[in-house]
Amino acid sequence: MSSKNIIEIQGLHKSYSDHKALDNINLSIGESKIFGLLGPNGAGKTTLIRIINQILEPDQGVVKFAGELLSRKHIHSIGYLPEERGLYKKMKVGEQVLYLAQLKGLSKKDAKQKLSYWFEKLGAENWWNKKVEDLSKGMAQKIQFITTVLHEPKVLILDEPLSGLDPVNSLLIKNEILELKKNNTSIILSTHDMNSVEEICEEVAIINHSKKILQGSINEIKKNYEENLWTIIYDGNQMNFTNAVWGGWELINHISLNGNINKAEIKLLNDFTINKFIKGIVDHVEILEINKKIPSINDVFIKATTDE
Amino acid sequence: MSKIGLIISREYLTRVKKKTFILMSFLGPLLIFGFVLLTSYLSQENKEKYEILVVDESHLFDSILRNSDKYHLQWAPNGKDYNEIQEIFKKDDQLDLLVYLPVNLIKTNSMTAKCLYKEIPSTGVQKHLSSIINEAIELYRVNFNNIDISTYKSIKTKINLDVVDIENKENRNIQRKAFVGIALAFFIYGFIFLYSVQVMRGVIEEKTNRIVEVIISSVSSFELMMAKIIGVGLVGITQFIIWAIVTMIMSITIIPLLIKDKLNPSLQMNDELVKNSFKIDPNNEAIQFIINEVQWSYLIVFFILFFLGGYLLYSGLMAAIGAAVDEEADTQQFLLPLTIPMVFAILMASKVIDDPSSSLAFWLSEIPFTSPIIMIVRIAMGIGDSSVEVWEIILSLFLLTITFIGTTWLSGKIYRKGILSYGKKASYSDLFKWLKN
Repeated sequence: MSSKNIIEIQGLHKSYSDHKALDNINLSIGESKIFGLLGPNGAGKTTLIRIINQILEPDQGVVKFAGELLSRKHIHSIGYLPEERGLYKKMKVGEQVLYLAQLKGLSKKDAKQKLSYWFEKLGAENWWNKKVEDLSKGMAQKIQFITTVLHEPKVLILDEPLSGLDPVNSLLIKNEILELKKNNTSIILSTHDMNSVEEICEEVAIINHSKKILQGSINEIKKNYEENLWTIIYDGNQMNFTNAVWGGWELINHISLNGNINKAEIKLLNDFTINKFIKGIVDHVEILEINKKIPSINDVFIKATTDE
Repeated sequence: MSKIGLIISREYLTRVKKKTFILMSFLGPLLIFGFVLLTSYLSQENKEKYEILVVDESHLFDSILRNSDKYHLQWAPNGKDYNEIQEIFKKDDQLDLLVYLPVNLIKTNSMTAKCLYKEIPSTGVQKHLSSIINEAIELYRVNFNNIDISTYKSIKTKINLDVVDIENKENRNIQRKAFVGIALAFFIYGFIFLYSVQVMRGVIEEKTNRIVEVIISSVSSFELMMAKIIGVGLVGITQFIIWAIVTMIMSITIIPLLIKDKLNPSLQMNDELVKNSFKIDPNNEAIQFIINEVQWSYLIVFFILFFLGGYLLYSGLMAAIGAAVDEEADTQQFLLPLTIPMVFAILMASKVIDDPSSSLAFWLSEIPFTSPIIMIVRIAMGIGDSSVEVWEIILSLFLLTITFIGTTWLSGKIYRKGILSYGKKASYSDLFKWLKN
């Protein structure tokens, strides 16, 4: 395996009594990368995450952590923020974070030291003696985030970390994630929020119907899903535009913007190039703007999961 | 501290720091004491003196019916019939009871004496009245038949039957000892339920708070379950020890005060209830019995062993139930099969006392789901042929141990699946599916 992979998954299978949750999953997650784990609801993401966290055992296949077979000793090297998350409501914030930190292997003294740093950083200094039930949802989310990252894990697994956060707190957490990455933490981000994926992930994998259907860097994947779509804004008659070039392209969409100004979306077929197309129309209409349409991760996701 | 130690200490400390725990630690023994005091108070005659009007139709009783200050008898005026005397009784507020002795009562055995009341007399008063009437009739008949009174007294006896095991003379009055066993059985029953339900609630709390997934990413689900069971069990033992200490302190401090009061009537106690109701005679037979004849040392050891065994057996299953549901309201369908054996054991305890070496007693004290309750009753009745043999206790503890290991293992399987299955109400078929998988 490549030494740059922090997590390597080979031939992973997991079945429940009534269905197959993971079917031959192979995945490699690069060190110090933000890795987007995407897929529709029920695709098997949570099962995969739980196997990495050793909450569940796979039926077949191996998971390697930094080149070693995953074992209990790696528990302290992983920080996990599950989608279904919460805190003990009746416990005080301070007691609770200390408890969770010690469960992750920190000494009480170390935990206190690190907590004061994080509490200050996320503006939670005055919450120490509050009961969790008195915190707002956003405040509780911040506390959960702190307990996940406190023990400085090598791998951080975040399942929908931004759900329920207001835009300000959402940005705050996003920036923290980016900073953790800068400090060499590898992050697995499982989310349906495709904008965040586009913003912060470098690599993604899509799981659908318990199988991995796609993996690669964001740019690579987008490139693979490019369909040679172009938008052209021109000044001129629509008939002249459509009749200028015969064959090699399809009109996908056409709208009139203002008077003679129109916007056309076209798809080039086979080897037909944009240069040939421009040559064809340049004498009939005046070209104002030409753009290649790059698919968003959202487009890729929908296409990949519905084409199956 | 190891992670399991950390979880045990959290489970333990959050519970013993609760106000309800501290309150119950002191309130429990007080409630038990209060209950004993109350029953003794309620069964006490609450009148100092009874004025009793006697209608003696035969005129044979007046010299022989025993009179006393407490039960003061006065004879109804002559020349008035029974109905008129009833009117007098009704009108005179000083009179508490009217005793009617019909004319042929003393000569035949067929008639019944009557006691008319304004406020119902206690069974103690009723007993006193029938005993003095019987005594009078006997005296009359002794005289009538020219029997010497001292001869008669020497013939008339009242014996106590000491029921003793021939093989082991220590085994005396085992049925009476069983009442100590019943009391301990109720404690075991209560403690097992109280604390295994706490385990279940703890599991439901972690599941509904959604913290469980974070915890089991640090320790295995089985470790979490066991740590919770141990932590809560320690809370139970702590509570028991506090109760025992508080009860002991109360016995040492309050009972001598009560005894002193009895010995020194001039001593004034402020608490009227205590003063009037609980006068303990240090020579009282029941107290002597409880102090001298009940084998407290080994009873307490077995109490703790059987409590622990029963608790471990039931709390594992309760943890599985907690994991299978989303809220406490859904637990009913699963709780019923667990409560039935325990309630059945409590109901059967009296049959076991009747015949502690019967096969019913044997089986109920060996089957792990009822044994913690029934075995303690049998042990309280004494170890030996007449109640329970040592090998039966060892076998019972052995069966209890292997069963709780088995149920804990099975519960662990249900627990592991259950705690991560949110939002759906598990059925029995789900539980079996989780067990198989």
